[in-house]
Amino acid sequence: MIERRVWQRSYLPFLIALLSCVTGAGCGGSSSPQKIVTSGQNVQPISVNAGPISGQIYPNGVFTSVTICVPGTSTCQTISGVLVDTGSFGLRIPSSLITISLPEQSANNNAVGECYQFADGSYLWGSVATADIKISGEQASSVPVHLLNSNFFTLPTDCSSSGGPEENDPTSLGANGILGVGYLGADCGPACASGSTPLSPFYYECSNSGCSPAFVAEANQVTNPVTLFATDNNGVIIELPSVSGETASVSGSMVFGIGTQSNNALGSATVFTVDPNTGNISTNFNGVTYTNAAFLDTGSNGLYFLDGAITGIPVCSDDPDFYCPGSTQNLSATNQGANGNSKSVNFSVGNADELLSTNNAAFPTLAGPNPGNFDWGLPFFYGRNVFTAIDGKSTPGGAGPYWAF
Amino acid sequence: MRSFHHEHWRFPNPTMWLAVALVFSFSLSAAAELGGDVSSVLTDQARMKATVKSTESRSYTVQELKDPSGTVVREYVSPEEKVFAVAWQGPFLPNLRDLLGQYFTAYSQALQAAKARHPGRGPVNIQQPGLVVQSGGHARAFTGRAYLPSLMPQGVQAEEIR
Repeated sequence: MIERRVWQRSYLPFLIALLSCVTGAGCGGSSSPQKIVTSGQNVQPISVNAGPISGQIYPNGVFTSVTICVPGTSTCQTISGVLVDTGSFGLRIPSSLITISLPEQSANNNAVGECYQFADGSYLWGSVATADIKISGEQASSVPVHLLNSNFFTLPTDCSSSGGPEENDPTSLGANGILGVGYLGADCGPACASGSTPLSPFYYECSNSGCSPAFVAEANQVTNPVTLFATDNNGVIIELPSVSGETASVSGSMVFGIGTQSNNALGSATVFTVDPNTGNISTNFNGVTYTNAAFLDTGSNGLYFLDGAITGIPVCSDDPDFYCPGSTQNLSATNQGANGNSKSVNFSVGNADELLSTNNAAFPTLAGPNPGNFDWGLPFFYGRNVFTAIDGKSTPGGAGPYWAF
Repeated sequence: MRSFHHEHWRFPNPTMWLAVALVFSFSLSAAAELGGDVSSVLTDQARMKATVKSTESRSYTVQELKDPSGTVVREYVSPEEKVFAVAWQGPFLPNLRDLLGQYFTAYSQALQAAKARHPGRGPVNIQQPGLVVQSGGHARAFTGRAYLPSLMPQGVQAEEIR
């Protein structure tokens, strides 16, 4: 009798974990059940919802609020509805939303401008200003930020060479800003700081005679504010619960620091170091490894991977951006880090036409093609805590950059 | 039997390309634009300040250009000396207006129409009968390709364009 009770006690946690796996809570191999931290000076609430633009639903966007201040003062403004993006670096806000006077950068008596092109072909244009940034209880001082403004000097022709829309206002951006909290600090890095000629498009010096490509030191480039926090500055954890199907909203937390507080330990998460040239990991699907072609990105609003010829899943007849299977497809892939660590991931692909015709905003099965690549967008983050360790920062899991989940 | 090399292939061999690259001080342009003649590589210099190397395969030649920032552009040239595809990979997006040439406007209009369908961010997938553009990645790691199905040499698969 006594022996039997001991047996029950010691195996109960295992049985509970197994059960939660079967019922669909995010479980990857030996992971312990997900715990979402909700309190602490390093914890910022985040929410997947329709987004801040009335009359439109942003599918799979995770939003938060950010407080910006005139440097060294208590003149501050809080902006809500800012998209959290682990795939970019730095804070970008439409200038039309800003009610305080942030000092704008100048060089050689010229205004400093920036063109920022996203992988989706869209581009942002405006000035570079300086702000103190407060998120949760964390603060970063004198952070270069991007103020989006179509009227900030004439757009350089190179800037629109990505071909997509200019998204300098909240409606076209679909958000009140983008908070880039990825694995790097400065958004451009050494390539914009020196060389034979300045990179274009990126940074510019602008005067009444127009804008010319210009070098900007890394310290003055638009920068991921997390890297400039006084504490908890070595990484970010995105914590979102599992979602069984499409739903109107999902609440979670963005936790700053890795292993710096009692609430941000790596725990049983597996560390996946990245290819230094791309920040990517590898994914194996159906026996084929897509080397250094995979990344985890809250800023991508679906699981974008391979193509219909390989997956056997048809794209939507009216929208080649998404998959539209007749019924939900359950798939599996294995992610592999540069360090050799690997972990399998189960995921599902739903019919995007049906999903996007609802009034929901969180879609765990929204997916589309992306030949040769695995863009593990926001659906990947439902049900698992995902760590982004920042380049050059030390953590209990080794120096960044790496992903862990 | 028709000889491919004698009748159609007037493109310089890899050694000659290396020599050409040296002559032009590693400043050849990437802008042998999509659908354009291979000769535009030589006339449209210096935009990318790129180094170049060339490899030949069964039915096309690939010119690989690398600019100082590390962005690599590969241009696929058919036996008819037309650029039938381009692919890119690197920390910054190449200038697609230059690279897609006369097809840039069609690409841009299709992309803006696609973006207008719904908010949200994901890779580009433009599928038109005469033009395919697929582009993605994240900040500091962009990848993509564009090709003209009607100019693809027989037997060449889209998977080879990367």
